[in-house]
Amino acid sequence: MQVFERLKNKTDINEQKRQQDELNTRLNAQHHKSQERLVELIGDNTSLPVTISSVRILHANRTRRSFLERVVEPLLSANRDESYTLEEALKEVGNATDKLNRFGIFKSPISVYLDRPDQTNASSSPTDVDVYISAFERGNYTIKTGTEAGASEADAYVHAELRNVLGGAETLNAHGSLGTRTRSAYSLAFDSPILSNPDLKIQVNGFASSTLKSWASHEEVLKGGNSKLLWRSKTGHQHEFGYSGIWRQVTSLAENASPTVRVDAGDSFKSSITHTWINDKRDYPLLPSSGYLMKTVSELAGFGPLKGDVAFFKSEAESQVALPFGDTGITLTAGLRGGLLYPLTLGGGNSPQASRINDRFQLGGPNTVRGFRLAGLGPHDGPDAVGGDVYAAGGASLLLPVPRVGKETPLRLQAFINGGRLLSLKSQSSKKEEGSFGSGNEVQSSLQKTVQSLTQELPSAAAGVGLVYAHPVARFEINFSLPLVMRAKEEGRKGLSFGVGIEFL
Amino acid sequence: MSQPNEGDATPNPSSQRSTPSSRSSLFSVPTPIKQLFDRFPLHTYPVNELPQRAPRHRNEHILYVFASEQGASSGAPSWNPACLKWQAYLKFSHIPFRIAPANNHASPSGALPFLLPSSPDPYKQTQPVPSAKLQRWAMNTRGDKRIEEPGDARYEAYLSLLDHRIRRAWLYTIYLSPNAPAIAEPLYILPSSRNAFVRLTLARALRLAAEQELRKFSPVVNAETLYSQAEEAFRALDMLLGDDKWFFGAKGPGLFDASVFAYTHLLLDEGLGRGWVDTRLRDALVGRERLVKHRERVVGKYFS
Repeated sequence: MQVFERLKNKTDINEQKRQQDELNTRLNAQHHKSQERLVELIGDNTSLPVTISSVRILHANRTRRSFLERVVEPLLSANRDESYTLEEALKEVGNATDKLNRFGIFKSPISVYLDRPDQTNASSSPTDVDVYISAFERGNYTIKTGTEAGASEADAYVHAELRNVLGGAETLNAHGSLGTRTRSAYSLAFDSPILSNPDLKIQVNGFASSTLKSWASHEEVLKGGNSKLLWRSKTGHQHEFGYSGIWRQVTSLAENASPTVRVDAGDSFKSSITHTWINDKRDYPLLPSSGYLMKTVSELAGFGPLKGDVAFFKSEAESQVALPFGDTGITLTAGLRGGLLYPLTLGGGNSPQASRINDRFQLGGPNTVRGFRLAGLGPHDGPDAVGGDVYAAGGASLLLPVPRVGKETPLRLQAFINGGRLLSLKSQSSKKEEGSFGSGNEVQSSLQKTVQSLTQELPSAAAGVGLVYAHPVARFEINFSLPLVMRAKEEGRKGLSFGVGIEFL
Repeated sequence: MSQPNEGDATPNPSSQRSTPSSRSSLFSVPTPIKQLFDRFPLHTYPVNELPQRAPRHRNEHILYVFASEQGASSGAPSWNPACLKWQAYLKFSHIPFRIAPANNHASPSGALPFLLPSSPDPYKQTQPVPSAKLQRWAMNTRGDKRIEEPGDARYEAYLSLLDHRIRRAWLYTIYLSPNAPAIAEPLYILPSSRNAFVRLTLARALRLAAEQELRKFSPVVNAETLYSQAEEAFRALDMLLGDDKWFFGAKGPGLFDASVFAYTHLLLDEGLGRGWVDTRLRDALVGRERLVKHRERVVGKYFS
């Protein structure tokens, strides 16, 4: 974060900056002094036994009492078996305010006061303290509108967020956008913490969108909904369990769309359960200098009672590690991704279904394998990237601070090499009708064969150099690259390319 | 390859001035850089194989129609009159082709049928031929052996009987009459998706589209009028055929025969969908013996 603070300051006029600095120093000194005093005071009294007799939350007028009670009730000494020392009590109160903070409905900072109850009151004991938490609520709605322009996409959007709808930190999000690639997208999402726990949330979401998939000559129209349970463990692992039902329509085919795309044109309904696990320990995800990321996404569609029109098990894994070279600002980041789509037999069907273009993976482009066009890797039918069922991709980047700009700015020179393979599953028996596999065994053997062939040849790869800028919202890259290894029909990109996004290999 | 100036021993001053800045030279791509670029990729492997669902048979003409998987592989008649018309016409033209099941989303024109001509190179794209251009395509393909349509003055008038009266009665009987759940639903809706919500939405859209089409002709959709007009049309066609084998006394079947057959065959097919519930349009045809014979002649000669 410091990096960005600095960046912002740079844009200010020097004079202003100087004044601001002076003010900051003064404030800091003051703050520091009072902190010291507090630390001293607490230090003297850490082992002092206390009991918390009451907790009062001030200013939270629109928030339900029962919702807040769940957060603060565990603080009360009456609800605890063990007694507090002052240090422990402060820690617990700190935890509770941290929880309140994470609901995102209060203005930060949330301040806490401790007070001694009136000693003349007969019901109070000498160790009693009252806790006052002053939590001002944020406005109950935000509406944002804007336009965005990227490498090959431009759009205009409206986003509205209603906060604390029912007084229990529930949020209602409405989003609408119109654009060049994502033709239109509308969504309405409701999410709510469960049992006043900011780390456990339920989310219900309905959406409709229409996306132009120019790399495969069609437009995909989606209508559907999903519900998710989100949980964050104490160690920072995020889990998401969800169900989604989506009506997909492959439509508006281009004049010269390939037969592979034509065969998948029309309607299909996907009914699936998903699980996502994220363990992100990178210090700054958009331009990490240390730490690692691990992520897996698994999806089971159409199997057994799930029904729908497509059946498969799909799993993707992603990892990234960033290694700093001391304090030089030089970082080596390396990433590895892989995924597979395993065809299953639809509930009530009799043979495993081959994958459709909506479900197959695509690979290539500035955010996956640089030096290739969007969806430039893998099977191509005529002008179309038709996707594959198994993929693996990896890359390494050496990031160097820009000379004379310094390592504090989020600007880096990069040298990278990356590559990958995207393959389709093929039925081994050639006489089998198109569109399905003979049996589960056949799927297994063809999957084995395909996974083996991932490593039989060199992957399609590209290398290059470029400039990276990590804006707080997204990462921008401009690279010069050349493809090293390719397959015929794959679309590489020689020369300059521009990338923007939040996830990079 | 490159501009002739670039490799000259005496480069002009303007290009010399631009070379120190690496950015401008990138856009003009000087020869050494071009040569360097051409060296990449260093190695190219053969193509990736296409996914399992990708259609094979690229060396055959493929006609995309409404059909079931089995129907398509056996070359059975499509259940959509517009598709069946062209399927029959291509057969009359003796053009070998294969049937592929599809839906309107797959078509470049938004409606089936359309044809994807065979491609000598499996990865090379051929332009699809929409139904409006199929006759010309078939004639060009057959060259000298093409079917010549009779130059009869009544041709257009009788064709309009099919394209309007009979087509409207067909739309009504299939999509709006009590036949809808027995015929339109199993043929057009159920294969699209197994999801009840999707099916309901599609069924409603289909009904609305049929209604809209009929409203173009008259603001009130009257079943009696539609059926009686179709009955008259069938009588007129029956008279037109007379004792000839093919319409307009031609030596072989042509596009007009295909157009008539597309409706007569489907109406006379007892087992269409889950079978007929409202048989009024069908009954109007059953008594027209010459049309019934005509249909049997086509089935016997081209669809057996």
